[in-house]
Amino acid sequence: MYDKDTSMLERLLSMFQTVQDEGHGSVLLVFVTGMIFGSIIQYAKVHKFEKIAGFAMLKDTVVPKMLFLAIGLASIGLYFMIELGWASYHVKPILLGGLIIGGIIFGASMAIFGKCPGTGPVSVAEGRIDIMVGAIGGIFGGLVFTLFYDKFKLLMGSSLGNPTLVTYFEANSATAVLLFGIVLIAISIAIPLLEEIDEDDVGYQK
Amino acid sequence: MIKKIPWWAGGIAMSLLLLFSFSLLGADRPIGASTYVPYFAGIIFDLDPEKYTYLKEIHNAGSWEGVMLLGVLFGAFLNAMFITKTFRFTIVPAAWKRYKNNSVASRLLWSFVSGFFLIIGARLAGGCTSGHFLSGMTQTAISSMIFGGVVMVTLVVTGKLFYKDSKNV
Repeated sequence: MYDKDTSMLERLLSMFQTVQDEGHGSVLLVFVTGMIFGSIIQYAKVHKFEKIAGFAMLKDTVVPKMLFLAIGLASIGLYFMIELGWASYHVKPILLGGLIIGGIIFGASMAIFGKCPGTGPVSVAEGRIDIMVGAIGGIFGGLVFTLFYDKFKLLMGSSLGNPTLVTYFEANSATAVLLFGIVLIAISIAIPLLEEIDEDDVGYQK
Repeated sequence: MIKKIPWWAGGIAMSLLLLFSFSLLGADRPIGASTYVPYFAGIIFDLDPEKYTYLKEIHNAGSWEGVMLLGVLFGAFLNAMFITKTFRFTIVPAAWKRYKNNSVASRLLWSFVSGFFLIIGARLAGGCTSGHFLSGMTQTAISSMIFGGVVMVTLVVTGKLFYKDSKNV
């Protein structure tokens, strides 16, 4: 199927075809989902270095407040949507080595970079040159991971299944998820609001 | 024109977008944002997707996220140019100057290195802030709670060790 002469452009175009054929939304829907996703991040300012590195320094709490509120609300909504057959679970497996080693590497990098893979592109689109350089680093990270996937796989370990709270609280799953959601919403409200500001940001001024 | 929304509005909007994406009306899948990186690396370095197991595994997810990423870039660029007016070329973030240093070389070097490891970490864990934190914990997935806990702790420990408190300088 792969032709050595396939150009980069042809491969990029085949990306759209793959999405169109896959049945997880049309190309337009996925593109617009990305636009909205990026815009929410951008207007809430959670892509800013001041917000993410600021959270790492415990000087800004917008990221955890927004994150916990979003998860708390969505977890309750999704549970009932799945019960009604409007959505289904897509749970990632427990690969302990991967989650712990990957989580440590990810957390440390996020504190220093002040971005994660979802927020970085928003900053690139705003002209942040340091993040463009970091994105090139990320592309090399992706290359190394692809080339040495067999070795990385050994670190990741074998799957311990992909349970959720619903798996463990079968009979009382609604109560368990409701409680989970409410606790997260309560945490998001309870965390005191701290803000670290980029004073050069025109849009930031209150 | 609105240039900034408070954290609670952002949280509510994000929860609605997550639910829409999960729903049959939306994409019937979670939002993720780190698989596109090795996917694009495969294209840029012209790696044969038939030869590399990983590229084969991520072919569909990488394509989906690739299109989503283009939407993120396009939307954020339009916003930055015309609404939030936050488009400008900068190298060293304001808080980096406050709590680390004023060096362009230092920031760029650390950006490259942390960008590299950010992707290694995300791919080892099988997800990032979007795929694990937002989408995974929304499903009350145990794997995502483990990832979330480890990331939170490491993030704050690194923040304490890596940056200096400006008040003590």
